[in-house]
Order: sequence, then C-alpha cells, then structure tokens
Amino acid sequence: MMNRSAARRHGKAQRRSESLGAPSFRGRKNVMRALALLAMAGLVGTGFLCVRLLQHSEEQPPEIEHPNQQTSDQVILPVYGPLRTEQEVAALRAREIELTDAMLHDFPDSAKAFALTGNLYYRHGDAIEATKLWNKALEMDPQQADLYGNMGWSSLKQGDLEEAIAHYRKALEIRPQFPEAYANIGRALMMAGRHEEAVEAIEKEIQISPGSSFAHFLLGQVLLQQKEYVRAKEHYEAALKVEPRHANAVYGLATVCAKLGQRDEAKQYSAHFRKLKTEARQDLKGRKADYDDFSETQKHAAITYINVGRMYRDHGQAARAEQLLKEAAGLDPNNVMSYLELASLYQVGRQPAKALQMHRRIVAIQPNSRICHFMIGILCAHFQQFEDAEEAFGRVIALAPKKSDGYRELARLYLKTGRKLPQARQLAEKALALEVNAANYFILGWACYATGDMKNASRLVEKAMALDPGNANYPRLYQLIQQRKAN
Amino acid sequence: MVAMNGRVFASSATQWCALALLCLCVATVTAETFVLTDVTEETGVAFTHADGSSGKRYIVESVTSGLALFDYDNDGDIDIYFLNGAPLKGATYDTAPKNTLYRNDGNWKFTDVTNHAGVGDTGFGLGVAAADYDNDGDLDLYVNNYGPNVLYRNEGDGTFADVTAQAGVANGHKVGAAVLFLDMDGDADLDLFVANYLDFTYENHRMRTSKGIPMYAGPMDFPPMANDLFRNNGSGTFTDVSVASGVAEHKGWGMGGVAADFDRDGDTDVHIVNDVYANFLFVNDGTGKFEEDGLLAGLAYDIQGDDQGSMGVDCGDYDNDGWLDFYQTSYAEELTALYRNLGDGTFDDVTMITGAGAGTLAHVTWGTSLVDFDNDGDRDIFVACGHLQDNVELYNNNAVTAARNILLMNTGNGRFVNVSDQGGDGMKVRLRSRAAGFDDLDNDGDVDVVVLNARGRPTILRNDSPRQGHWLQVRLRGVKTNRNGVGARVKVIAADLTQVDEVHSGRGYQSHYGSRLHFGLGPRTTVDRVEVSWIGGGTDVYRNIKVDRCLLLVEGKSTPAPVEAATRP
Repeated sequence: MMNRSAARRHGKAQRRSESLGAPSFRGRKNVMRALALLAMAGLVGTGFLCVRLLQHSEEQPPEIEHPNQQTSDQVILPVYGPLRTEQEVAALRAREIELTDAMLHDFPDSAKAFALTGNLYYRHGDAIEATKLWNKALEMDPQQADLYGNMGWSSLKQGDLEEAIAHYRKALEIRPQFPEAYANIGRALMMAGRHEEAVEAIEKEIQISPGSSFAHFLLGQVLLQQKEYVRAKEHYEAALKVEPRHANAVYGLATVCAKLGQRDEAKQYSAHFRKLKTEARQDLKGRKADYDDFSETQKHAAITYINVGRMYRDHGQAARAEQLLKEAAGLDPNNVMSYLELASLYQVGRQPAKALQMHRRIVAIQPNSRICHFMIGILCAHFQQFEDAEEAFGRVIALAPKKSDGYRELARLYLKTGRKLPQARQLAEKALALEVNAANYFILGWACYATGDMKNASRLVEKAMALDPGNANYPRLYQLIQQRKAN
Repeated sequence: MVAMNGRVFASSATQWCALALLCLCVATVTAETFVLTDVTEETGVAFTHADGSSGKRYIVESVTSGLALFDYDNDGDIDIYFLNGAPLKGATYDTAPKNTLYRNDGNWKFTDVTNHAGVGDTGFGLGVAAADYDNDGDLDLYVNNYGPNVLYRNEGDGTFADVTAQAGVANGHKVGAAVLFLDMDGDADLDLFVANYLDFTYENHRMRTSKGIPMYAGPMDFPPMANDLFRNNGSGTFTDVSVASGVAEHKGWGMGGVAADFDRDGDTDVHIVNDVYANFLFVNDGTGKFEEDGLLAGLAYDIQGDDQGSMGVDCGDYDNDGWLDFYQTSYAEELTALYRNLGDGTFDDVTMITGAGAGTLAHVTWGTSLVDFDNDGDRDIFVACGHLQDNVELYNNNAVTAARNILLMNTGNGRFVNVSDQGGDGMKVRLRSRAAGFDDLDNDGDVDVVVLNARGRPTILRNDSPRQGHWLQVRLRGVKTNRNGVGARVKVIAADLTQVDEVHSGRGYQSHYGSRLHFGLGPRTTVDRVEVSWIGGGTDVYRNIKVDRCLLLVEGKSTPAPVEAATRP
C-alpha cells in the first residue's frame, strides 16, 4: 500500500500479516514505561544508598557487608528450543489464547485485558474477533484512543476507507495529537479520491509532527496528483531532509522535476532512486532469506506473555507475573523487555541480586543500554562490587559523555568506598558543569568534604539544600561539614 | 465534486441537497446500467480447472491459468479456449487435465471440440494467445506452459496441428507467463513475445509459512527470468532474437503483458508487468530492437515508487484523448493501477484521483480489461479477483480466498464508480478467479465476459445491461500487412465522440480476447469516419458508417463489408 510498510511480501502475502502499527507504538511506550520504572527504582536505590554512604564516608574503610550472600539468589529461566513443526506452532498459539482467556476470566472488568486480547487475535489474523474485543474494551473505557487507531489501521488495510477515517477521527477526539491519525485519514481520503480533504488532514499532521517524513511524503503524493508540482516538490524535499534514504520521496522528486521541466534534476533523482531501490532489494533479499516464520511466531508469543505478565503485575499478582515473564524470556531469550520487566519486578520486590542478574542479561544483548549499565553500577555498588560498579559507570559515561549522572554516580562510588578521592572530585565537578541540579551540587559538596575543602563543601551543599529542601541527606552532610569545620 | 464512491461533498446545505439529488440519480442510473448474468450452467461448458496441486504448494499452481476468446473456425462467433494445469509432482488425477476448446454454437450453447480440434495439450498451461502467424486466414494458438510450449497451427478445417518443433518455439522448460504476437519489424508477419515468470524447479521449490500456517512462496524466493522473443521468418519457422532485440537484457518475474503502440510512432511496443518488481516497457525502435524504459515512462512503479505484485495488464483509451492508457492488476493490499498516457512517452498513475482502484485493495486481482460494457462511449473496467493463497483466511480473516469480481463504471468525466453490487448476479459469484476474457459471445452488440476460476468451473457472464447505446464492431483483414490486423490502430469518430483502439494478440492476465474491436457509441446513430492505420502499412479511411453492426475492414479497400454473423440476434 504505502511506502511506510516497506516490508514487501516474501510470498506476496507474508508482508501483510505480521503486526499492527499502533500496537508497536504501544510497545515502545511500554519500553519507556519499564525504563522509567527502572530509573525511578534506581533513584530510590541511589537515595537509599546515599544514607548508607554518608555513614560510610565518616568511617573509613566502610563497613563490609556480605555481598556473596545477597548475589547467590539466582533467577532460573526456562529454556525452550525453537519450534520445529506446524503443530508446535499451533500449540503455542493455542496456549496464547488460553492465557488471554484466563486473563479475561481473572480481570473481567479490565478494559486493558480486552484490548490486549484483541491485539492478540489481530496478530493471529483474526481481525473479526479482534474488532469485537476492541469494541468491548471501548465499551468499558471509551477513552482508549489506541484502539480506535488499531481499528482504523485494520480498516485501512482492508480498503474500508470511510470506516478507517471514522476510527481515526474518534482517536483524535480522545487524543488530539494521536500519532499519524491525520496522516492516515489523509491517506484514506487520497485513496478515496478526496484529495482536497486529504491535503487538509495531512497538513494537520505536519502541524503536529513537523519532522514526520511520512506526512511530508504523503502530502507530496496528494499535491502531485493535484498537479501542484512546486508544492509537491517542497514536501518531497522535506521528507528527504528528515530521511535521506527515503526512496519513495526520491521517486516523487524525480516525477515532479520531470513535470516541472527540470530534466537534469529529474535524471539525477531517477538515478538515485534506482540505486536506492537496488540496495533496498538486496536488503530485502537478505531479510527474506533470514526470515523464519516459526521463530517470529515464538517471539510474538513472548510478547503476549510479557503483556499478560504486566497485567498480573499491575493487579498485584507478582508471583504470577514473574512466572509469565520468565516464560516470555524462555520463548524469546533475546527480547530484553522480559528482563526489564523482571528487573523492575525484582527491584520493587527488594530482590536486588535478581534485578542485577536481569540487567546483566540485558547488556549482554544490548551492550549499549545505558540505563542498564547505570543500574548495574548502582546495584554493584550496593553489593560492594567495586570494580564492576566502576566499569559500569564508566560505560554509562562513555555512552553519553554529555550527561551528568554517570560522572555523579562514579564520583559517589569513589566517595562511598573512599578510593580515588581526587578523581571523585573531578568527576563531581564535571557532573555539575554539565548539569546544575541539587544532586550534582551535593555530590561535589561531598567530594570537597572528603578531600578536606570544607569551605566549598559547605557552600555547595547549601546550594543543594536550596534547590531541594526536602532531601534529608543534604542537611545531614551539611551538619557533618559544620562539625568538621568546627573541629 | 463527485468522489469515487458516489458520495458528494459540498459545503453549503443547498449544495448538499442538489448534489444529493444528483447522487440519487447517478445511483439510479447505475443500478440499471450494468447487468452481467451468470449463464454458465446453460452454456454446456463443463470445463473444470485443475492446478496440479497435491498440498506441496508449488508456486506455479497459484498463478494458473489463462484463456483465449477467438473465432477458431471463422464462423463469425467467438469460441473459448481454456488453459489447464497439469499434475505436478505428487498429484494424481483420474483423467489428466487438459486444455479445452469450446465451439460457440450460438444461443449460448458451446460444444467441447477439443479432441476433434487437437488442441488438448496436457502441459501445465499458463499463458495463451491466438494469431494468424502464417497469414493463411485462420487463427493459430500459442500456449505458454510450465514446461515446453506448444504452437498449434490452425488447419482451417476445424483442426489444429502441433507445429512447435518445426517452428522452433518450444522454448525449453520454463515457467511461462503472457504470450504476445506482434509485428515488431513491420514485415507483415507476426513475431512472438514469450514472457517468463521465474526459475522454478522441483529442486529449488520452497514453501513458506505465515504464523505457522503453510502458504505459497513468493516470486522473490526464486530467481528471475528474462523474457524471450522470436522473430517470424515468414516460412513457418521462428528465430530466437531475445538477445539481439535487447529483450534478454532484462530479468524479471513476468506475468501479464500487452503489445501496443503506446507512443503512436507506428510500431508496436511491449508492456510486461512483473510480480513484485519494476514493470518493463520495451520501446520498439521500429526494427524489432527494444529499449526498456519503464522507469522513465512512469510505468515501472506505482505512484509511490513501489513495485507492485503486478498480475495482469490491458490497455485502452479510458478518457478518449486518443492515447492508449494501461490498467494493471496487483496483489492484495495494493490498489490496481490506472496509468494515463500523457502522449509524451510518459504516464501518470491516476488510480486514486480517478477511483479506478475502488474496491480492489482487499483482493488479489488478475484478469482485467478496459471495456465499454454499457455502450455509452467510454471504457469501464472489469477486475477478476481471488486470493493467490488458498487458505488465507487461516492467517488473515480480513482476506478471502474466493472473492467477488469488481466492475467499475466510467462516469465519463474521468472517474470510475464501483458498481459491482448493482452489476447483476454474475457479479455476486465468489470464486478464485484468474484469467478473464471479454468479447461479444452472442453477437448482440455488447461485450460479455468469461472468467477462468482456479480449481473450479469458469464463469460465463452474459451482458444483459438494459438501455444499451449504439455500437460498432470492427474486424480487420490485412492484405499487405498481417492478416488479422494485429497492431493496427482504429479511430472511430461519431459526432462529438472520438475513440481509438488497437488489435492485440495476447493481453490481460496471460490471455487473449477482443480481436474484434468494440466501440460503444451512446446515442450516436452514425459513425462519421473510421480510420485504420495498419502496422507496417498505410491508413485507410471509411466514412458514414451505419451503427449497430460488425464490419470487416479489408486493407486497401474503401468499402466496409458487414460480417454476417454479427447481425445474428
């Protein structure tokens, strides 16, 4: 249909069925949510540790805990082999359905449960049942714009253009900035031959998302058909600015340039298009060769387990949630989401060793996951695994040298352990230079305190207290400083 | 402004009312304009298509087969030739499937004359075209198979002889697609363009799954193939000029095709659509040398620059501007595509702005044509539908394996309206359609439809549309040029209406039909002028032609002759 779903079928059908656009967006939201939870948990942990560190800083060397005892608590994850037969795939799909049926039974008043089940049916190719479930979810909670987005997309794919437009309009009533709703309305209107209305809708999308290459490309398409070549060219160029390898926009430019009599430009764009197309085809060929439907089915099933696990977690059934998330990890050991959710669960459940294990799993898959390195640093510091914590915070800094938290936490580690104190001060200075906030004032104040610079320590902690008067740690350090100064 | 679905949009209440009335009128007219009646049962046509399947899902099963509508016995009515599949590895049949020829006996009765005619090839049939390659006055047949192809020479006595070997056109053991006859070099005999789909063998066969459910693999799972071109030596033999002509330089996944002089430079060009690959436009330099120009012409991709899963293609002048436009069918979740010929060697994809893709998005679409079903002077569109996957509902119940075909009415103002729901019981049939052919089977002055359905019986649709306009049908007989006027261009001028068409041999989805050109005239009772530009020859002009008849126009003769059978009710 549109270029957005660049995935072309292998088989003509394969490209069609895989996933719903909107749920993938929700997937991203869930990642963000998990990361936010982790970050909050991390901050809580950091605060908790601060108290202890302050105590340690007065008594060098700090009190030795027994980290080995705490880290012996291991998470045992199931291991599933790859699916081998169609029957195994069918059985797994059946298990997914059983799982969501049980969820609906356990949470009959949960609109979210119905929505999730609808998503599952849609992914299984049962759009009819999916729509029923989404509508049921909307009866329970009419404010779920995402579900209207799902139904809009489903209708659009089916060619029910009026229905698609109506669904997206509903989504916009609930969430006026619903991503790509105006663009998809515009697309449907364009396909229905209602080009003037399409322009209006897509322009609204561009107002909401000026950096959307999709919206600019789409507007270029409508304007091209309306023979407004100059404006079409502008929007193709805008799309290309955002996404320089947007082959469809390049094709559009070749077309409009030819229409405008700009032959040389048209030729250049045509040549560029050919090149991009050839590369895309090679890429597609590779992806098709690598594509394993059974494996993809297993991965999707893992997502179902994660989603249902979240439901149980949100309803306070941590043990069931843990069980489902472990199943998810077994089904797709490379999906970090299950480990993130488990880490979050363990963090909240005060099982830091297990949380640490999950974070280590994640960085084994995603070595550049800054948040996980950060959490590993925090947790290793908690378990007094100095070298590991130091390495983790070093990675945090290397991954984002312009962010202050890595410097701050590494400084804190040094201060906590009483090691490398001059470096701790340098790190704290760097953190404050990058970002002025209470935590950074505090850490530099602490570093000054630890290196005997009471004057600056006092001044800096005062600033921290002024910025965050509610933090109980700051007056405590301040008091220590004053005591030291008095002595 | 009337949109493609017949709805009307305006801002003021007054405009709304006025336009709503107009809409009502349009709807009323629409309801009465098109009636295609399913008359399959009464025709005696008992052909059943077999795709040779045994559950292994060989890709060739999914794309078979084409059909030919042509007058094999020169009796003035159109006969039907269905291609058939053949048992693939693992498949068994009590009676081997074979191609089947039905003689039109008139009054919607057809008789199976396959055995007598000797055209019951049991190869795996994919594409077919009819043409008088030996210029002896009768139409021969070329069948493009998975496996060796077959050339049947019409012996003029109701029988055919398999002359493949002596003609030198068996073309190895390939997966065939469209067949087109054209006089590529203006030497008065018809050359042969043989499209190929892909390089499939039992050894490189593969099957795919979707969500664990088995499905046919796609074209990209197999290597592409170049197409083949054979020059007619004029002696009953052909020479393979695929390389010399430039055609072999381009590998693709060929499906449907049509040969037409799209640029009106007096020679016949070739448009081959590819399955999930850029379509080819082979532009003829007049000597049988071709340059592929699909991208610059705007025919390679759809309006987005995406390569479609193109299936069939036909041409016709939908907007009566004198230039042949192309209409292409495609895979599910892709719109079919109408390309308007701008007259400067390029095309605009006007599918969305004209509504020519209405109703097609959900379906895999195959046979098609631009045909004036209601004789109102503009060409409507028929689209045969049916999913390629025979179990698509199992992994996508938004899609259907057996689908209704689609009928789009040309409103005359550059727009199309989906009138399938008002198109008679023939448009309610749900099957896995593939090829479709369009001709006046009962010589009553309107165009009927024959649809080949995969793994099933065909559908034969009689055009019972009421309140027909006037019409004119034209058969050509070349004298200095090829005998049946293949490639000749005919312009019909009736008062304010000017229409053009060409004689094609091979078109749509790997099929053949429409050698007798049909022009709807609406209320016009006289044709002022008919011009015939013969390919490789001159132009003949005929004036003041009476309507509602079929004429035989002979090259070089100024007086048209009525075709007797054409006046038969």
